[in-house]
Amino acid sequence: MAFLLDSLSASLRLIASGDPAFLHAVWTSLYVSFWSIILAALIGIPAGIAVGLSEFPLKRTVITVLNSLMAVPTVLIGLLVYGFISRQGPLGGFGLLFTPTAIIVGDAILAAPIVANLALSSVRGANIAIIPTAMTLGGDRLQCVLTLLSEIRFGMMAAVISGFGRVVSEVGVAMMLGGNILGYTRTMTTAIALETSKGEFALGIALGIVLMAVALAVNVVFQFLQRK
Amino acid sequence: MSTTTSTENSGLLAVLLPPFEKKFECKVDVIAVGTGKSLKLGETGDVDVVFVHARSLEDKFVADGFGVNRRDVMYNDFVILGPPEDPAGIRKSGSVLDAFARIALAQARFVSRGDESGTHQKEKEIWKAAGIVPKGKWYLEAGQGMGEVIQMAAQVRGYALADRGTYIAYRKKTDLVVLRQGDRGLWNPYGVIAVNPARHPHVKFGLAMKFIEYLTGEEGRRFIAEFKIDGEPLFFVGGTKGN
Amino acid sequence: MEPLYRLESVCKRYGEKEALAISALEIGKGSFNLLTGPNGSGKTTLLSTLAFLLPPTSGELYYSGNRVEWKGRGLVALRREATLLHQSPYLFDGTVFSNIAYGLKVRSIDGGMHGERVGKALEMVGLEGFAGRKARALSGGEMQRVALARALVLEPRVLLLDEPMASVDRESAAVIRNVIAGLPAGGTTVIMATHDPDRMGWPDGLRIHLEEGRLSRG
Repeated sequence: MAFLLDSLSASLRLIASGDPAFLHAVWTSLYVSFWSIILAALIGIPAGIAVGLSEFPLKRTVITVLNSLMAVPTVLIGLLVYGFISRQGPLGGFGLLFTPTAIIVGDAILAAPIVANLALSSVRGANIAIIPTAMTLGGDRLQCVLTLLSEIRFGMMAAVISGFGRVVSEVGVAMMLGGNILGYTRTMTTAIALETSKGEFALGIALGIVLMAVALAVNVVFQFLQRK
Repeated sequence: MSTTTSTENSGLLAVLLPPFEKKFECKVDVIAVGTGKSLKLGETGDVDVVFVHARSLEDKFVADGFGVNRRDVMYNDFVILGPPEDPAGIRKSGSVLDAFARIALAQARFVSRGDESGTHQKEKEIWKAAGIVPKGKWYLEAGQGMGEVIQMAAQVRGYALADRGTYIAYRKKTDLVVLRQGDRGLWNPYGVIAVNPARHPHVKFGLAMKFIEYLTGEEGRRFIAEFKIDGEPLFFVGGTKGN
Repeated sequence: MEPLYRLESVCKRYGEKEALAISALEIGKGSFNLLTGPNGSGKTTLLSTLAFLLPPTSGELYYSGNRVEWKGRGLVALRREATLLHQSPYLFDGTVFSNIAYGLKVRSIDGGMHGERVGKALEMVGLEGFAGRKARALSGGEMQRVALARALVLEPRVLLLDEPMASVDRESAAVIRNVIAGLPAGGTTVIMATHDPDRMGWPDGLRIHLEEGRLSRG
C-alpha cells in the first residue's frame, strides 16, 4: 500500500513540476488525437448518414461489416499503414514513417468505423417524423438532411467524442507508426509503456492521471453542451 | 531471475539454464525486461538473482545494499550500425569517440534506445567521453527495444549502437552494415548479482549463490563459449577486460 | 372553374396491401373539406398524397390544372404550397420561434421579416409571448397550436390536417377550431381528417368518406 501511495505522491509532484518532456508528451497526444478525429469525422459522419438514410440491396451486410470494423486491433492497423509508408512500401518515398502524421493517419483509420457506426445509429434511431415534417414545411432534399443532422446533433457529438476517447488512449498505432521518439512522436500512452518497462512507476502513473483527466474533461464539456 | 530482453533474445539462456536446473532439481523463472526494471525487481525483492550488463548501475545496486557477490560472467560487444552509403563518413574514423563525433558533426540521424537499457548506458558513456551532448532533430531517442531501434535506423537511413547478438538476428532484415567494431570501448561486460537476503529474507539465497558459482565455473563458461549464432560466437568469457 | 385538385384512378399499394384506391375526386379552391372514415381507411395516405409527400403507385394527380410530376425542383415548389399538420406533430429541438420560422428559413425569406410574421402567427393561435419558450416544454395543446402556427406563418394555399384536436385540451381545441374554420375566407383550401365531423360546427363543404381506401357514401 505504501508503494502505491508513494508512487501517487511522486506522480502528483511530477505533474505540478511542469517537466518539459512530460508536457510535450501530453501535447503530442492531444495534437494527434485532435487531427485524427477530425479526419475520422470527415469520413465517418457522411458514411454513417449515407448508409442510414439510403436503401440498397446489401444494406444489412454493409452494416454488419461496419460494426466488425470497430473491433480491428490497433496493432493490425499499425501493421497495414506501416506496410504502406515504410521504405519498402508504395508510399515509402514520402518519409512518413515515425512522424506525427503517420500516427494521425493510423488513428483516423482506427476511429472512422466508430464514428461511422455511432452516426449510423443516431440516424437510424432518429424520430421518423423529422424528414416528413421538414419536407412538408418546404425543405428540399439537402435542407431536410441538414435539419435531421441538427436534430440528432448530440448523437453525432457523442460519436465524435467516443472516437476521441478511443484514439487518445491507444498505444499500438502510436508506437508502431510514431516510434516513441522523445520530443517528436512520444505520446502519453507510448511514454507510459516506456516508463513502465523502465520500472518508473511514478512517471507512468502521472501520465495515466493526466490521460484520465483529459478524457474526463472532454466528457464534461460534452455534458455541458448537452445541458444547454 | 531478472535479466535484459537482449540477453533473453540472444537464446543463450535456453542453452545455459537447463543443465543447472537439472543438476540442482529446480526451475529458473526468467523475467526479461529492460535493464532498469531488472534492477528494480532486485531492489524490491521480486527476484532472487539479477543478470544484466550495465556495470555502473550494477555497482550502485551493490553499494546501495540491494545485492551481494557481484561477479563478472562474460562479455559481448557492441557495433555501430549505419547505412551502406555512410553519410557521416565514419568508416574513416580513428576510434569510437571519433565515429560518434563525426555523426554529431554531420548531424546524421542517430537512433538511440533512450530507455536506460545497458545499450543505452554504453551509448551515453561514449557521448560523454567524446564530450558531446547529443541534441537536435538528428538525434532520435526512440524509447524502444533493440530490434525496433535497428529497424527504425534502417527506415530513416541513420546510425545506431547495437549489441552484436541482436544485430546478427536482424542482419537479413535490414540493409544496415557494421561500420565500426572491435574497439575496447565497445565491449559489454555482463554481471550476475544475488539479491541481498539481509534486505529480503525470503529470497532463495543459497540457490542464487549456487547459480553464480555455476555461471562463473567451468561448466557455465564452456556453454557460454560454445554458444554460436549463424556460426559466430556471441559471448566471450573473461569479463574483467570490460570497461 | 378548374378544381384545385383532381385525382384520376389514384392508387397506393404497399406490396399486396391496397391502402388507397380513388377512381375520381375533385377538390375546389378555397373550399372546406372534411375527411372521415374508420382507422386504417386511408385518410392519412390521402392527405400525404395531396401534400405531395407520397407519390401514388398508379394514377394521376392534377394540381391547378397541371399534372404532377413526382420529382425535381417542381415537386419542392408544390410542397411549399401545401402544408400537412400531422396528428402528433414533431417539433424541432429549439424555441417556439425557431420552429415557427423554419418554413420561412428554408424558403430563404429575409430574416428581418421573421420576427413580424412569427409574431402574427402566434397571435392567431393565442400564444403571444411564447416565442422564447422551449417548444418541447409546452403542454400537448400548446404544442399543437405551435405546429399550427408553424404552418400558418407560411400562408399556404392548402392546409391539410390529420385529426388536429385528437388529444388536446378544451381551450386549445377551441382556438384551433376557430382558426381553421376561418381559413377558407382568406382563400386557403382546408382538407381535414376528423373522427367527429358534426360536433364542432364546421363550415359547409365537401365530405369525403373513405372505407378501406375507397370512396363511399358513409
